[in-house]
Amino acid sequence: MRLHRHALLMGPSTAILIALFLVPISYFLLISFWRVRAYRLVPDATIEQYRIVFTEYGGPLLYTFLMAFAIAVVTTLLAFAYAYFCRFKAGRHGVAFLFIAIVTLFGGYLTKIYMWKTILGSSGILNSAFQMLDLIEDPITVFLFSPVAVLITLTHYTLPLAILPIYGSLRSISDVPLEAARDIGATPRRVFLDIVLPQSRVGLLSSFSLTFLFAAGDYVTPLLVGGPHTSMIGLFIQSQFGHRLNAPLGAAMSFSVIAICLATIAASAWILFRLTRPRG
Amino acid sequence: MSIAGAAASPTPAPTQSTPARLVRLDGVCKSYGTVAAVHPLNLAIGRGEFLAILGPSGCGKTTLLRMIGGFIEPSAGAIVIDGFDVTRLAPERRPTNMVFQGYGLFPHMTVAQNIGYGLRLARATPAEIAARVKDVMDLVHMDGYGGRMVTQLSGGQQQRVALARALVMRPAVLLLDEPLAALDLKLRKSMQEELRRIHATTGGTFIFVTHDQEEAMGLATRICVMESGRIVQDGSPEEIYSQPRSRFVSTFIGEANVMPGVRRDGHVTLSSGLRFADPGADEPVVCIVRPEKMQIAATTAGDTAPCCDLSLPATLEDAVFLGAAVKYSARIADGRLLLVDSRDMALRRRLGIGEAVRVGWKLDDQRVLADR
Repeated sequence: MRLHRHALLMGPSTAILIALFLVPISYFLLISFWRVRAYRLVPDATIEQYRIVFTEYGGPLLYTFLMAFAIAVVTTLLAFAYAYFCRFKAGRHGVAFLFIAIVTLFGGYLTKIYMWKTILGSSGILNSAFQMLDLIEDPITVFLFSPVAVLITLTHYTLPLAILPIYGSLRSISDVPLEAARDIGATPRRVFLDIVLPQSRVGLLSSFSLTFLFAAGDYVTPLLVGGPHTSMIGLFIQSQFGHRLNAPLGAAMSFSVIAICLATIAASAWILFRLTRPRG
Repeated sequence: MSIAGAAASPTPAPTQSTPARLVRLDGVCKSYGTVAAVHPLNLAIGRGEFLAILGPSGCGKTTLLRMIGGFIEPSAGAIVIDGFDVTRLAPERRPTNMVFQGYGLFPHMTVAQNIGYGLRLARATPAEIAARVKDVMDLVHMDGYGGRMVTQLSGGQQQRVALARALVMRPAVLLLDEPLAALDLKLRKSMQEELRRIHATTGGTFIFVTHDQEEAMGLATRICVMESGRIVQDGSPEEIYSQPRSRFVSTFIGEANVMPGVRRDGHVTLSSGLRFADPGADEPVVCIVRPEKMQIAATTAGDTAPCCDLSLPATLEDAVFLGAAVKYSARIADGRLLLVDSRDMALRRRLGIGEAVRVGWKLDDQRVLADR
């Protein structure tokens, strides 16, 4: 009875989740098995769309996966280093440093992309500086419109978001077990590996998943700072739903990405938990 | 020497002194800026001793213990354990192990993993780890709990695991930082028994820090009382109780009636007007008498206070029945309340609240100390 009454608290969010997430996504799952004939949706039960995804769009799919994975790994490592500093090394200034990281979230997503365009462009800040220092003669063009630019931009954007979950789990590690480990013979390195790391895996996994999903689904950054060969799957999905008017193919692409993402996160979680499992 | 100590690479050079005493602190002190947490002190602890460092919070007792354990570096002085100068050694390289306040168990590990972690670090074989973990779990009566997560244990069980995790390393010195503070009274009593038994079984050297005088009296073979960063008295529990060297020690350990007075020309006059001969320098003094050494008698009923050298008129204000004894509070002429513990149950019926009484004591049972 009590549980039922309190279940009401979940009502509004559950309703929103069902109406705005579960229903549309079920609809798209359904139409991913349909076809389009003369720009009209035709109900069907075919895996043709999925075949197209993996034959014709296998390249972008793999590229997207690798890119998102690289961004997620780099961002998670950087975020861990920053959160670790805030929690263990910055003393009472830790919260201030955390706040600084969060403040950088102000300024929006597009602003940051254009900022990196300004920095990395052929007449951008980086090239101008190098030219002024006589390090180079002609501007380096590979900065912008390259996979590296996408990696830098997305890492920069997702970093503050990735710091928070890791900081949260580091925060909940108390100091006494760390001292106790030293006391029974652990060097600072072993304390880190055996005590700190295993207790931060939930945070690490959250940050990794968050970054990975964001990077895998993003299509604006590759469009603006990525080069002609850096077409991530998000761009293709957007065009299938947009001017291509091929919702079934777009849906099939989306579900392929979702499946790959879930599999990646599950595999990462398994590996992470295996590596940090207490022995003995 | 513990496994951890033995595994630690370059062995510290032995100092000249022979380890007649297992632990020696020479002029050890710690200050934070201009604030001294521990004033320079010397302390020698023998093998097999069960030493309590007793004092109120903020007296520097935990700082002292953490310096021995290697978690705080002394501002000056040397710490020698088993003939080795360990002053600059990190905690993981000292032959000490600590039971922390709040236990500090590893929440992501099982009981057996917690206890075996130190042995695993010391590269003991899995068979040896298993055997020693089992032995120590038997010792602390936690056999059968090896597979449990420590987060599923009660406070008392966590305490035992923390103790086992330190004991399994076979430390030269076991340090205990307020080990029983978080337990309820009943559990605390039974853990005291356990600690005494474990000390006897292992024959180890235990140093433990506490603010609870009863705990110190019940456990230790020797007590160091600390006040504001100094050891103010060091002795057996009996000595500390019966011959307190200062007003602080007398009131911190057990109950005491403290009566201020002045000594002049070999005579002490208390503020209540009582006067007795007591040789010594002319100075302000306090006269200290334990409540159980006090006698009480009704003045009207013709009771004669038996074998009292000194006595005072007073008014009985309260009598609390404690089971085996009655605790009386009687107000004397200077307005002070004196406590009297009496085991004479018949007396209680004869004494009425608000009645005039006499309280007294023997000269042998009082201690007169300079009042600094």
